[in-house]
Amino acid sequence: MREQPNVRIAKDAIKAWQLTAHLFAIISFIITIAAIVLYFYVDFVPGWLVLAIAGVTIVEWVVTAFIIPKLRWRRWRYQIYDQEIYIQHGILIVTRTLVPMIRVQHVDTQQGPILKKYGLATLEISTAATTHQIPALLEEEASELRDQISELARVEQDDV
Amino acid sequence: MSEPKRLHPAAMIFNIIQAIKQSVLGLLPLVIIALTNGVLLIVMVISAVVLLAGVILVSVLSWLRFTYQLEDDQLRIERGILIRKKRTISKHRIQSIDLSQNVIHRIFGLTKVQIETAGNDPATDAALSAVSMAEGQRLHDELKYKKQVPEELEADLEGQEEEQPALVQPDPIEETELPRRKITLKTLLIAGSTSASFGILLGIFGVVFSQAEALIPDEFYSDASRWVLSLGAQLMIVLGIVVVIFLWLLSILQTVIKNWDFTITRYEKELFITRGLLEKKQSTIPLKKIQAIGIKESIVHQPLGFVSVYVEIASGEVNQNEEMHTLIFPLMRKKDLTSFLAEILPEYSYETEQLVSLPKKALPYYLVRSAIIPLLATIGVGIFFLSYIWIPLIILIIALLYGFASYHTAGYVIDDRQITVQSRILGKDTAIIKQHRVQALARKQNPLHRKQALVNMDMAILNKMSGRHFIIRELRVEDGNKIADWYSYQKESSS
Repeated sequence: MREQPNVRIAKDAIKAWQLTAHLFAIISFIITIAAIVLYFYVDFVPGWLVLAIAGVTIVEWVVTAFIIPKLRWRRWRYQIYDQEIYIQHGILIVTRTLVPMIRVQHVDTQQGPILKKYGLATLEISTAATTHQIPALLEEEASELRDQISELARVEQDDV
Repeated sequence: MSEPKRLHPAAMIFNIIQAIKQSVLGLLPLVIIALTNGVLLIVMVISAVVLLAGVILVSVLSWLRFTYQLEDDQLRIERGILIRKKRTISKHRIQSIDLSQNVIHRIFGLTKVQIETAGNDPATDAALSAVSMAEGQRLHDELKYKKQVPEELEADLEGQEEEQPALVQPDPIEETELPRRKITLKTLLIAGSTSASFGILLGIFGVVFSQAEALIPDEFYSDASRWVLSLGAQLMIVLGIVVVIFLWLLSILQTVIKNWDFTITRYEKELFITRGLLEKKQSTIPLKKIQAIGIKESIVHQPLGFVSVYVEIASGEVNQNEEMHTLIFPLMRKKDLTSFLAEILPEYSYETEQLVSLPKKALPYYLVRSAIIPLLATIGVGIFFLSYIWIPLIILIIALLYGFASYHTAGYVIDDRQITVQSRILGKDTAIIKQHRVQALARKQNPLHRKQALVNMDMAILNKMSGRHFIIRELRVEDGNKIADWYSYQKESSS
């Protein structure tokens, strides 16, 4: 855990996260527009409230769509050893996790519409007590890893 | 022994009692409403009678339909009135069989048999709610101990058993040689008088008392309160003390009844616990289900030098009335702990002399975490109600002391394949975990941590709920790396 893991996730992850952020930003933009409309038709809606909502919306959009995805991608790293999986993530709070292969209970890959658009998939590794994700791997890489991990995890489990 | 058997008829009584218990709670509000309305009351009484008749009918039928039989290596259970369910449990899959008796069981000389299988699915477990004691013992021995006996011998034994099916106790000499510990009456009394249930009882009493106004007729209530007020302050204080002492005695009684004759025995592959005065309970803990051992020193027990010992087990059976972890000894002197573990669980050892504690630079984190809310409260009160500032100030001081205590307690020791993690959430909690029981290890750093070379280490283990995390906050980075090296299977990669 001294060195960080050395494999990065797919670069397209940034695009996928950005797209997700844009989609979420649409909701806040709709709220902002609704606030502006209300401001013109209803007397008691104060102007500063509308400005505040608009400000928050823009800041949220810029931060979630243009700043966070890059930072997040830069931090995300993983490494698969024969006997364990090593993951690093987190922008402010950096978390490094070790999951021994013999503790792995099952491995899943997941793909939503946005990830599918970029040909990406998320790998989910479950132990008896915890779940760990490696987001946004290339599709074939994810399924390869899934098979590889489940192969490595097939080592005789003593118990639980 | 191969023909299907029914449970003891008393099983019907349990069924009825359980059904009534369940329905009473749901119907209570209706009953209260009905009490004020004459017509509704009659309707209620009639429907209650009908309901009772229905419950009795169902109980009788389900008793008639419930059969179990032992066949070869299997226990077969058939049940269900309309939908017939058959369940076969293989002997080899059975992890533990526990016999427990409540008051009614004891009157009739019966026992409940609880069969637990491996795996976390509670639906695969089975229970026979009432069989005779001898039958219970026979089932227990049949399903449990015989599987270790070689097959030829087994055939022999089976022949003998047909002739004398009564109590087949394991060899008495062998029994006494097994390591076991029993609670003494004195420690039991101490456990009762310092137990947390006293506080809970006090709370319940407070709630009931505050709700009493609604239940007692107004006139009576005001009369009573006038009378109490007229008694004067001294008498009221005396009354209060009497109530508190009464509740305290009640909590002692509760603990004593629950843990009466608490005995733990170590068998080769399992721990076996019996306890209880009115309700005798047995529980079997297979060693391989134990995920961690915990030693708890509550704030009351710690200065007195007492500890209680529990285990975290992986298990599907989660009852609401059961605690998160399983006590394996309610209370003992701390100095006896080492010998207790050496005897009962020699796989684990308690050594905290070489505890690696936290660096000085970790202290501010602990103080801030525990005192931030009281500090804000103090500032708030200071601005608005300066004359009452002493109240939040006292809380602030307590919070700071608590923060310091948490900092002081936290630490870890690595000893071969086990790690001992000490932490404090009010009481001091020392957990002993084997390396292969840790499901995942995480190391977390926020930007301040990175600047100061500190880390938080998080070890996840499995328990009755979905899992428990042991977190040591603000360790030195080097110590964090030591834990990682200890945990990692890939030595060369992380060093």
